[in-house]
Amino acid sequence: MKKQYNTLSLIKAFIIDLLIWLYLVGTGFYLLEQLNVVEYKFSYFLITSVVLGIITFVTQNSLGHKGFRSKKIKKRRWYKTLWGWEIFILIAITFVVGWDIVEVNPIKLIAKFKNSKVIISQLFNPNFDNLLKMLSALSETIYLALLATVFAIPLAFIFSFFAARNLMPKNLLGNTVYIIVRTVATIVRSIEALVWAIIFCVWVGIGPFAGMLALLFHSMAALTKLYSEQIENIDSGPIEAMKSTGANTLQVWIYAVIPQIISPYLAFTMYRWDINVRMATIVGFVGGGGIGLALKQEQQLLHWRNVGLIMWLIALVVWIMDMVSGKVREKLVKH
Amino acid sequence: MENILTLEKLNKFYDEDTHAINDVDLEVKEGDFLILLGLSGSGKSTLLRCINRLIEPTSGKIYFEGTNVCDLGGTPLRHARREIGMIFQQFNLIKNLTVLTNALSGRLGYFSTIKSLFPRLDNELVAQAKKNLKRVGLEEFANQKVKNLSGGQQQRVAIARVLMQNPKLILADEPVASLDPATADSVMRYLGNLNKNDNITIICSLHFLSLARKYGTRVVALKGGKLMFDGEPTEIDEQKFKDIYGQDAEEVDIK
Ligand SMILES: Nc1ncnc2c1ncn2[C@@H]1O[C@H](COP(=O)(O)OP(=O)(O)O)[C@@H](O)[C@H]1O
Ligand SMILES: [Mg+2]
Repeated sequence: MKKQYNTLSLIKAFIIDLLIWLYLVGTGFYLLEQLNVVEYKFSYFLITSVVLGIITFVTQNSLGHKGFRSKKIKKRRWYKTLWGWEIFILIAITFVVGWDIVEVNPIKLIAKFKNSKVIISQLFNPNFDNLLKMLSALSETIYLALLATVFAIPLAFIFSFFAARNLMPKNLLGNTVYIIVRTVATIVRSIEALVWAIIFCVWVGIGPFAGMLALLFHSMAALTKLYSEQIENIDSGPIEAMKSTGANTLQVWIYAVIPQIISPYLAFTMYRWDINVRMATIVGFVGGGGIGLALKQEQQLLHWRNVGLIMWLIALVVWIMDMVSGKVREKLVKH
Repeated sequence: MENILTLEKLNKFYDEDTHAINDVDLEVKEGDFLILLGLSGSGKSTLLRCINRLIEPTSGKIYFEGTNVCDLGGTPLRHARREIGMIFQQFNLIKNLTVLTNALSGRLGYFSTIKSLFPRLDNELVAQAKKNLKRVGLEEFANQKVKNLSGGQQQRVAIARVLMQNPKLILADEPVASLDPATADSVMRYLGNLNKNDNITIICSLHFLSLARKYGTRVVALKGGKLMFDGEPTEIDEQKFKDIYGQDAEEVDIK
């Protein structure tokens, strides 16, 4: 009983209510302004939101209460409750504002189809004269993806041990290492490969090497996360058993950890290579070499039949990769 | 006879409210087959894991062959662990490795890290592992993956593994709790054999009184982390049994 009234959950509920009304009033003003009904003033916006936030909060029936103090609220049909209407308005207004901001225009989509007719017909009529040149660009992309994956594997493999909660000792050093490796991996991973490619294009110059480095960085961080989660899921029994024989930490890892993770690691790695082949095209677009770079050049020259050829080649490779990696992963998981 | 193991005022708190081991004093003589009884949650696993420091005791002393293992760390601790084998309820083998490799892994404490990558290069060691596997009746299974073995066979692999350590003491944490009665008795027979023929001291937690009477030389019982009985297996009558397991408990017999 006591817990339901504790101050922390009250504060959380209030913050949620406040944020909801800041959003609702803000988007409301935006719409009214678009319609030239009112003139937006920051002070109006703030006062209205806070007042509405407080009013709904004191009713004890608001979304914030629903979220954090749900046990207090009786079960009723949504349209008989305040929070139900809050959610309804939230969804409705988001949709309307979204439609406006994105400039959704279905008429354009249908009426202006003829603009692209020529291009589409050329895309479906690829220019095979450039096949050899494009195949060599394509192989650049595949090798780039392959090397990035191959280099990322051992690095991620090593890092993953330090990013696994269950392997790091619960002392200051262990915690520090764990947090640092985890944080760096998370940051590197949340920066898109595309952005890494831009960075490396400046660093080592435009070309496949930059693309490879971009994918390497991103894959390494992504694999570190996947691998370390795999380690956190292993059976801890063998670890205990190996420790009890007097084995040292490295021996425990070799005997009790690695045999348990090897086949899921291979599956993840295969999956990653699959992703890297797709991403290699995209990082190529910003200067990372390979078929992506070719795609960009042909597109800028408006050589649509060449673009068509590239498009079909990429589709072919992705399709093959999908099949192969699917089959391999299936084998590994069964194993 | 010498005490191989002496516990003095051993305490383990997992947190403020969980006093898993409460002031336990215990002396174990060399050659004992000590049976540890107690309800689930009474602290048996915790007590056994404190002895080889898989769990850090909160306070108290643990003398193994005269040295307090609580004072040890790093290499000396690992050297003490080599002499204290452990058998687990869930066997804790490395399932996708072979029986032979699992047996060899019992020797890790004696290897350098480099050598542990290639244990099979040591012919003498492989021969010893095979001998131990033969002892538990698994010599034909040496090259099979452990995951293809039955529970009883897996526990025997675990015994072969523990033998590779040349242990003076074996801690067995409910070694037969996941086995059917017939297999349970055969696994206990192997442990009894190690105790008699190799003079290895054994501390074994169990739930079956019949097995305790058959193999144990001495019985202690834990209740809520406290030691509440210490005596001969034959001393446990119905009343004692109810003290340990609660008034509603009935003895289930397994042969
Ligand atoms: N890792 C742990 N963290 C917190 N409490 C634990 C942990 N392991 C065991 N306990 C608690 O310690 C007590 C003893 O547990 P345990 O040694 O596993 O008993 P037993 O092996 O006799 O079943 C129980 O109350 C259990 O809940
Ligand atoms: Mg237990």
